[in-house]
Amino acid sequence: MALLSIRNVFKSYFLHGKRIDILRGVSLDIERGELVSLVGASGAGKSTFLHVLGTLDAPAAGEVLFEGRSVFSMNDAEIAEFRNRTIGFVFQSHYLLPEFTALENVAMPALIQRQDRTGAYAYARELLERVGLGHRVDHRPGELSGGEAQRVALARALVLKPAVLLADEPTGNLDPATGEGIHQLLRDVNREQGITAVVVTHNETLARSMPRRLRLAGGAVSEA
Amino acid sequence: MHSAERQTVYRWSFIWVGALVSLAGFALLGVALTSSQAWAEASPALGLSLLGWGGLVQALNAVLLVSEQAVAPFPHTGVLVAGAAVWLAGWALIAAGVRRAPASAEGPSPAAGATLYPRLARYRDFYWSTLGAYGGGILLAEVVLILLQTLLSSGVSTAELSGAAKEGGGLTLAPTGAFAIALLAGGMVAFISGFIGASRAQRLSLPEATIGVLYLGLPIPIILTLMERLPGLQLALGYRLREVTYVAGLIGRPELGYWLVFTFLVLALVLGVNTGFIAAGSGRVDLKLGFELFVARRHVAVFRPSLLLGTLAVLMFGIIPPLLVYFIIRSAEAAVERTRIRKLGLKDPLAAASDLNRLKLHEQSPTMMMTALSVGGVGVGVMALIIVLSVMSGFEADLQQKILGTNAHAVVSKYAGDLPEYTKVMDAVRKVRGVVGQTPFIINQVMIASEGNVDGVIIKGIDPATVGEVTDLPRNILHGGSLDILYTPEKIAHRGLTDEEPAEEGGVEEDDIIRRSGTAKKPAVLPGIVIGRELAASLRVVVGDRVNVVSPLGTELGPSGPIPKSRAFRVAAIFYSGMYEYDSKFVYILLKEAQDFFNVKGATGIELKVADIDDARRIASQVVKALGGYPYRARDWGEMNKNLFSALRLEKLVMGIILSIIIIVAAGLIVATVIMLVLEKRKEISVLKALGVPDGGIVKIFLAEGLQIGVAGGFLGLISGLSWCIFIEKVGIKLDADVYYIPALPVRIEPVQTVLAVVIAVLVTYLASIYPALKASSVEPVEGLKAE
Repeated sequence: MALLSIRNVFKSYFLHGKRIDILRGVSLDIERGELVSLVGASGAGKSTFLHVLGTLDAPAAGEVLFEGRSVFSMNDAEIAEFRNRTIGFVFQSHYLLPEFTALENVAMPALIQRQDRTGAYAYARELLERVGLGHRVDHRPGELSGGEAQRVALARALVLKPAVLLADEPTGNLDPATGEGIHQLLRDVNREQGITAVVVTHNETLARSMPRRLRLAGGAVSEA
Repeated sequence: MHSAERQTVYRWSFIWVGALVSLAGFALLGVALTSSQAWAEASPALGLSLLGWGGLVQALNAVLLVSEQAVAPFPHTGVLVAGAAVWLAGWALIAAGVRRAPASAEGPSPAAGATLYPRLARYRDFYWSTLGAYGGGILLAEVVLILLQTLLSSGVSTAELSGAAKEGGGLTLAPTGAFAIALLAGGMVAFISGFIGASRAQRLSLPEATIGVLYLGLPIPIILTLMERLPGLQLALGYRLREVTYVAGLIGRPELGYWLVFTFLVLALVLGVNTGFIAAGSGRVDLKLGFELFVARRHVAVFRPSLLLGTLAVLMFGIIPPLLVYFIIRSAEAAVERTRIRKLGLKDPLAAASDLNRLKLHEQSPTMMMTALSVGGVGVGVMALIIVLSVMSGFEADLQQKILGTNAHAVVSKYAGDLPEYTKVMDAVRKVRGVVGQTPFIINQVMIASEGNVDGVIIKGIDPATVGEVTDLPRNILHGGSLDILYTPEKIAHRGLTDEEPAEEGGVEEDDIIRRSGTAKKPAVLPGIVIGRELAASLRVVVGDRVNVVSPLGTELGPSGPIPKSRAFRVAAIFYSGMYEYDSKFVYILLKEAQDFFNVKGATGIELKVADIDDARRIASQVVKALGGYPYRARDWGEMNKNLFSALRLEKLVMGIILSIIIIVAAGLIVATVIMLVLEKRKEISVLKALGVPDGGIVKIFLAEGLQIGVAGGFLGLISGLSWCIFIEKVGIKLDADVYYIPALPVRIEPVQTVLAVVIAVLVTYLASIYPALKASSVEPVEGLKAE
């Protein structure tokens, strides 16, 4: 059984009374441990697809199954817990919480789970050192550079050892060298921890370096 | 993301026709009602029809009136029925006009036939069970409150309430204590019902709540209000509800009491609904708060010493002085800092630059200012409430002390006639628990005349041996005098004789001699009389002077027909109670003298002192029970001074309500602040949701933020209010003693009302932050995560 299956998912937006169909019956299986890249033109619906996959956005019709279970038929608390435990998000912008230090940001998913604070901070510190930011733990996001913040965001996504990592153009705002560092980290966690990762990207070289490549065009997903 | 076409289509022809038809029905109902004689009685309730469901009230009212008034039944029953039918038909038409299903304009989309988004498939538009929980809950809360009040304060069993003649034991409490317990119980019931209803529907279910409160919650307060207006209803219900009406009557306006209690119950229901939604709305009861508080404290850092101290300073000393001090401190600090940075810069320019940068970053954000303002607003409200209520309590306590110092806590008498057997009655009363003193008395109204003036006063025959057990009279005698001198009037130091000229010239010693010789000549010794300070001043008499007491009641036959009975007394002592009314209107003589003077056998009644003045009403009724009921009666001080104290309480209540408006304005500030916070934090809310915080968690975070402001404001208000009260108490604000008869503004800090002021403020801020918090939780994760 596939880890994630997408079954006939539809999604549209309404703009000025007109319906724009973003996803027209997308069906797809993603196996455990896969490293998948998703490419497509701007506005093709890559982010929407990723959001539906991560339960951040509800499809109009269709199902997303995680280990055979339909995620959208769960209630609010279960969906929240699913996002918390199973999914790790990395966005184009780092989206760190500005009032909290890097350490607290990384530990946030664990704190949401109401884990013990000292334990959560210890593991968060370890992760920050792993992404090379051991000297930045007590800095606020405003005091970090773009690449550093994105690495903190990656550490935050990994703190609960999620089954799936969803990354939405994680290097879109970074220079190639910094971006390559992030990519390397992504590949490492996929290899070492077996985390399934779906990475939306514009970067063709990055896409080509992934074992499985998908292309989203015309509301449908095809293997590229 | 909404289409231009809405799903609901209104068939306006149906709605307009329905509105006209229902209007016609309403007019018919009106005709039917106005043609009955009950119209004049029912018309006050017409105001209620403005609330939108007047038809029901009118019908209910009319039915009640018809059942009470056998004289004039409806002459137009047909019209009434027809009116009701037409009215309902109109509403049915309107409903049919609104509930039209939309017609699909477009053809089927490619997704037709695919699995519907499961939540949409599960959606239900109305929960009957939730309606039951809300409506039944508020009704049950009201019934519980009324039953508990009756049960606890009178000891009547429920069986008697429902008509059966079974005597229940029951425990008896003071009415106010019983009310507190009943109110708490009612509030709990409403809260729990709201909780159950909301967790059942997993949403707030406002339509259900509105319908439940309007149709099931309103009738009881409306019936109670109508009861105050309609004698017939009063006759039917008044006795059963006497404990409830008594408590409501304590504030002078029972209706106000009913509606305040009703509002309280609705608030409890709303709190329950909200808590239920937060706890279980997302499908799981989660009452933990640690994480939410952690986030909320970072968002609004209210509990910072600088903010708290600054707001407190503003509350205590006004706006200008603390602001001046603040600016002086800040500019001094900045000057020192800049000097340091310049010195540092000479050695290490880079370090100096970073320090300078930090100095510039030390600015307040607008949200921070809003937060401080909100805290200040709540603080001002709480402070004003505490100060004003404490001063009013001070006045009340002062008045109560003066009244109870001169008057008894309760008076036992007969419905008619005197109490010749008063010693026997006193023996019986002594056995009642809670009675700590008693003294017999005779009371009458007389004229009192001195050489200089004449005045109408209340004369009281007292027993000096026991009067001290009940009133403060013995302690109120001026210049070290004593009531015992009434027993030995010959020892009263005489001053002047009736035939002496007041403006007499000559030495004091000579006078003394004349006086002594004057008394020695008199064979009979004049009995003593104790008068008040103000009366002494207006009669221009001092201790030892002679006064004449004239009673219009007992007449004696004189040469030219009946003349009022008159007797001479000598002023034995002067008292000062501190209450102008008493000091100018009361005089005291020996019980025996009064018996002779007014031809009374025994006494008019017996004055009692009880251990707990708040319990006087219950003890009075037990005294009557001990005496075997009729013809004996006992009235407590509250009943004897009902008008005065209920006026005071009403004044205090209205004052409290008016001052609460300040808190409500502050609550508006809090709403604005939290809404600003929500707008500012949209992105963060989305991120938190993406990280796995459920909707309930977001609600909790923003509720905690509003609540922090409320708690901080309430806390500061409490501190500043109490400090002002203590300042007024210790330093004192002088009053014109001639006008107020009190030298300084009295203050009495009552813990219950002080705590209540803070609790109300916190509650109001909690309620105020519900709406923004729900707004925050409805932010969709993708909304805030769109690429910038």
